[in-house]
Amino acid sequence: MISHRDNNTQRIAALDERAEALKLKRGMGIADARAMHPMIDVVEADPDADRRLLEGLADWCDRYTPLVAIDGEDGLFLDVTGCTHLFGGERAMQDEILTRFFQQGFDVRAGLASTPGAAWAAARFHGDRIIAGGEEEALLAPLPLSALRIAPETRALLESVGLRTAGAVMAAPRAPLARRFGATLLLRLDQALGRLDEAVSPRLPVAPLSVERHLAEPVMLTDDIERLVSRLAIALKTDLERRGEGARTLALLLFRVDGAVSRIAVGTSRPVREPRLIQRLFHERLTALEQNIDAGFGFDLVRLSVLSAAAFDLVQGDLTGEADDDDADIALFADRVRARLGEAAVLKPVVVESHLPERAVKTVPFAEAPQRRAPAAGRTAPPRTAPPMTIYPPERPVRLFRSPEPIEVPATEIPEGPPMNFRWRRALYRVARAEGPERIASEWWRQLPGEEEAPTRDYYRIEDSEGRRYWLYRQGLYSSAPQAAPPRWFMHGVFA
Amino acid sequence: MLPEVNVMAMNAVARETVFTLRRQIAKIEGTLPERLQAPVPGAPLDAARLDMTLVRRGLAVASADAFLRTGIERLDTALGGGLPRAALSEIHGLETRDAGAVAGFALSLVSLILKEKQGLPILWVGTTEIFHEAGLPYARGLHAMFGIEPEQLLFSEAPKLLDALWIAEEAARMTAFAAVILEIRGSPRLLDLTATRRLHARAQNAGRPVLLLRQAGEADPTAAPVRLIVSAASSASRETVAGTLAGSIGRPAFKVDIGKSRTALPGQFTLEWNPNEHAFAERTENPVAVVPASQRGADPAPAPGAVLAFPAIGSPAAGDQPSRQQHPAHRSPRRAG
Repeated sequence: MISHRDNNTQRIAALDERAEALKLKRGMGIADARAMHPMIDVVEADPDADRRLLEGLADWCDRYTPLVAIDGEDGLFLDVTGCTHLFGGERAMQDEILTRFFQQGFDVRAGLASTPGAAWAAARFHGDRIIAGGEEEALLAPLPLSALRIAPETRALLESVGLRTAGAVMAAPRAPLARRFGATLLLRLDQALGRLDEAVSPRLPVAPLSVERHLAEPVMLTDDIERLVSRLAIALKTDLERRGEGARTLALLLFRVDGAVSRIAVGTSRPVREPRLIQRLFHERLTALEQNIDAGFGFDLVRLSVLSAAAFDLVQGDLTGEADDDDADIALFADRVRARLGEAAVLKPVVVESHLPERAVKTVPFAEAPQRRAPAAGRTAPPRTAPPMTIYPPERPVRLFRSPEPIEVPATEIPEGPPMNFRWRRALYRVARAEGPERIASEWWRQLPGEEEAPTRDYYRIEDSEGRRYWLYRQGLYSSAPQAAPPRWFMHGVFA
Repeated sequence: MLPEVNVMAMNAVARETVFTLRRQIAKIEGTLPERLQAPVPGAPLDAARLDMTLVRRGLAVASADAFLRTGIERLDTALGGGLPRAALSEIHGLETRDAGAVAGFALSLVSLILKEKQGLPILWVGTTEIFHEAGLPYARGLHAMFGIEPEQLLFSEAPKLLDALWIAEEAARMTAFAAVILEIRGSPRLLDLTATRRLHARAQNAGRPVLLLRQAGEADPTAAPVRLIVSAASSASRETVAGTLAGSIGRPAFKVDIGKSRTALPGQFTLEWNPNEHAFAERTENPVAVVPASQRGADPAPAPGAVLAFPAIGSPAAGDQPSRQQHPAHRSPRRAG
């Protein structure tokens, strides 16, 4: 028995057959039930876990059709249009689904009809029935009003005027019904009878292309999965070629015998259709995930889907048969590293117009970076277009710290001059030579209204007594105001 | 007649086998042309001479562009022709604070490589630790100094050394990169002889250099044929029309020690990088007058000739100080710039 808290009382939320036999009912207080039968076993309801379980089941049902939607707290819609022949007809498919669920330990009722509304009613009020097209009216007519998927308030109103079955509502004149009970009632009725289309919105986006293989003998080993991936990729290639596309995102779905579904996705930085490349990407991904994939008793269905595709440019190789395409090599390399180590494994710097050194270069994952192309010579490279007044661009360090590191500067020769020595990471450095300052003010145009302006920075190039070159800055200026905090110094980079 | 022919044929076959084996050994060890070229004392046998010619010919083909010449005659000779192009090379920094100099030296080598392979990208692999400690390569600073466009740089940050090694190994077998730089900190046990050998073998097969930067690392056993120890040297002053600008920080300079090389010649060099011409120049005296004038002209690098273990190896000038005539030749481009 499962309890839930409702208005500060523990009430029965769900109960099994044996509890029903004891004349316990849903909605009854737990205290009352305990008084009647002290032996009952009560478990607290966990709606989140129920939801997760339902989602898991929805994932599993993906093996029958890609269009799976969750209905309320306890239902699943499967749009099996065009899928039934794969399982030997409607009856065979429904039987298989019910058998499989039963074997997994679920008590499931199913209905199959031409409209979602009719199927909903059939599953709840008939159980295991297939409604042929046109029979919806005959099915619904004798059923109570709750078969119409309407709000309890509307139902109570309808019952108060004597309309107790769906058939009675169907027979009643429509206009007064709509005026009195709202448009939803007629909408539901029309949807159930097939007069209006009802779309089942799938839980997951439907992949434009997918290929799958049902296995008589479940596979467990990663090597076997990889071999299957390459087989599936070969099948996928034909479809991709027909559409003139290449895959940008691929997902591998592994359906475990006991109902768990593993979903493994890889992204590519340029469209691919070559089975060998697809297999290599999944090889890296599977290697990285080896610990996380629990094969259990094996996978009995493996599906490879293309989640997103892009136009594929054909490249002609030269006569030696070697297409000398370095960019493709690098893209493949980056994809493999990404598949194994995550999105940010290969980074590319992108130059941004900004004065602030840390903002002037943005590092983006390789797949999102603009592709390096030969006509890059046509557009002027940003670093070359130095401001017209400076002859030389200001010198920048070869390495920049992630975040400027605070340093201690005990003394400067003149108040706003370079330091004479400084302490960085607990070591003392003596400044031998210094150049600067280069003043970099904060970018006021990025400032949010009400935000305080960041202090300006004075950058110095420093060479210490051993010849190492650093880039330091002083944040803020010395002020004669008594309360003013002294400016702070930071280490921002190192020069070659 | 017949037996003689047989013997000759067998000799030829045996010799061929020996050559193949030697070539393989040489390849595994990172080629040892000088050792094999060294004149054999005593009466050289006919077969031995044949050996030598063949070996030399095989290496002559390879050595035509097997080495990246740094442009410094003394350093190139000490390295036995330059830095091997298709190999793993280690560049050590003694302390993490030398990371700037080490990175700068590595990038100047990359810049030399890019002179011939223009437009190819470079990959910089590092662990999260080293990028955190020593900073990320800054794309804005690379163009002016080394001529490396931001689009040419790719970097890869791995949280674990194992992953960084994997990335570097995968990248080392590709020919699409002009160079692969792997940067790590300290002397981890994972990066042992086997790991460096794997990197070296891949670099050899792909024909691309792999630079292993070890910050604050010790001289562990390595399969890399060359190990250089780099630290910062005080930079040159800026040259203006009016003369040198006192107290200014001009071209960067590096102190380079040879820790390991195929010729086993020790040496210490102070190299100055010319960012305009993308070339090295050797500094044989301190251009900044921090030493009294009476000591001017003394070579700061210790003369290695006296402690040379193998005086016959290499060219006769290898271990010696450069002659006075060489100085103007080395210094002229710097003055011009």
